[in-house]
Amino acid sequence: MTRLVAAVEGRRADRIPVFCNLLDQGAPHLGMSSEEYFSRGEHVATAQLELRERYGYDNVWSLAYVGKEAEFLGCKDIAFAPDGPPNVRDFVLKTPADIEALEVPTNLADTPAFEQSAACLKLLRDEVGGRYPICAYLTGSMTLPALLMGMDKWMELLLLGPASLRDDLLTKCSDFYDAEARAYRAAGADVLLYANGFGSTDFLPKRLFDALALPWMKRDFAPGGVDGVVYYAGTARLNPVLNDVVEQLDIRAFYLSPFDDLTEARQRLGDRGLLSGVLNDIPIADFTPEQVRDEVTRIIQAGKVSERFLFGTAVMPLNIPEANIRALMEAALANAAW
Amino acid sequence: MLNQLVAAYNEAVYDTDRDAAFAVVQRALDGGVTPEQVVFDVVLPAIEQMMGGIAEDFNSNLAQHFMTAQIASEVTEAMVGRFAVKPEVLGRVIIGTSRGDLHTLGKRIVTGCLKTYLVEVHDLGVNVAPERFVEAAIEKGASVIAISSMMVHTARSEEGCVAVRRLLADAGLEERIRLVVGGAPYRFDPQLYRKLGADAWAADGVTASKVISKLIVEVTPWTMA
Repeated sequence: MTRLVAAVEGRRADRIPVFCNLLDQGAPHLGMSSEEYFSRGEHVATAQLELRERYGYDNVWSLAYVGKEAEFLGCKDIAFAPDGPPNVRDFVLKTPADIEALEVPTNLADTPAFEQSAACLKLLRDEVGGRYPICAYLTGSMTLPALLMGMDKWMELLLLGPASLRDDLLTKCSDFYDAEARAYRAAGADVLLYANGFGSTDFLPKRLFDALALPWMKRDFAPGGVDGVVYYAGTARLNPVLNDVVEQLDIRAFYLSPFDDLTEARQRLGDRGLLSGVLNDIPIADFTPEQVRDEVTRIIQAGKVSERFLFGTAVMPLNIPEANIRALMEAALANAAW
Repeated sequence: MLNQLVAAYNEAVYDTDRDAAFAVVQRALDGGVTPEQVVFDVVLPAIEQMMGGIAEDFNSNLAQHFMTAQIASEVTEAMVGRFAVKPEVLGRVIIGTSRGDLHTLGKRIVTGCLKTYLVEVHDLGVNVAPERFVEAAIEKGASVIAISSMMVHTARSEEGCVAVRRLLADAGLEERIRLVVGGAPYRFDPQLYRKLGADAWAADGVTASKVISKLIVEVTPWTMA
């Protein structure tokens, strides 16, 4: 935790923070199916703690997968796979009437759907609370509808549908973000990864980013603020909007896309915030360990020109061989030292 | 005049303004532009300009790609019914998401744009078995199978592109049917399509329509059997 706090404050600890996302790897690590693994908070916490110990990175993840938030809002059908992450199989919203009927829990922490997330966070807090940042994944109001109704139906409503229906849905999604942020903070999450693809001009033209995305993001953060919030656009590029997000939302930590130019990002941000250099980890399954080391070294050397820097991974697919995860972490830790 | 129409139409599309795009089309028709010209001299060049912009990295975005496809498909559908002579289809394509993949946006964008190229698209939906892709291609006389995958494991799965390639090879259909892939994993790993045995890939749905159209011409003559 001292490394992350130092990086946020622009100071040097012993090294830069190294974040790694080995969420899905917890299932094979424990010898379980994905469905069994994600069904219990203690499974996820145990795997997260053991994997962090094995590889030596600086963070742990609470229970999260694409679709978890849809479950918080009533989804009953998640597709689990032996070789990849879970995903929503049946959407909660199929008709306009479903949007009207959608109910957002005011106190998410009190709902049965949050029970296993809370159990996971409790175990993480008991074991490493205050020592290693505990991360939670929260989807912004502009992107959450894609998990509730499917991406193409959401694009249709967003760009072609009645504004009143769109805004009804966004209001509920924004209320949900607030409820979720409160629940995660109260349960002990230190880092709230605010995932919002529509908070990037890779998803929306700047005109709509200004007219829709920014106002809805402001609404997301109005009740609870931005403490611990890290801005992330789901691997979409952030550079074109960095300045807007700092100035309009006062967010000071950014998890970049692997496609963002780190040097340009630092030039745009100056010393106003923390940047992560993020490894494009999708092709590394086919890399040699030496190629992995080279790529990790390149990113860290490009980003470590500022104290406000951390290194991180993106989606870490399950097909990455153990030798390449080891190479990744060895290179990250070797280059991380100040 | 047509250049001005293309510019005005594209400005509306870039602004994701469907009503403005349709107003341009209506003005064109009112000014004596034929339905054929609307499709081939306005909408199609507008799609290709969008592709050119994407290739030059002018920071186009998903909303613009969605609207390009949506508007192009709606306009083409409306205009084709008014053509003086019923147009011949360029070719046939089978499209769907790979086994285990439930993401529909990519194939919707591809399908919308392909309509303007007068390509007949048969959409098998989501979570499609490899055998089904090949059976449908044979049944419909398709020249291209297009497989969309948004997740690494569904792209690389033994029940995805790899299996379709194997089935095409086993059936001796590789010269008759081309295999195209698209989706996020291919953007993050531009060599992935080769590793999985596809003939081509595209980084976005708009560009995919051009890639597919070219392959159709390569495989089959313009006049379909």
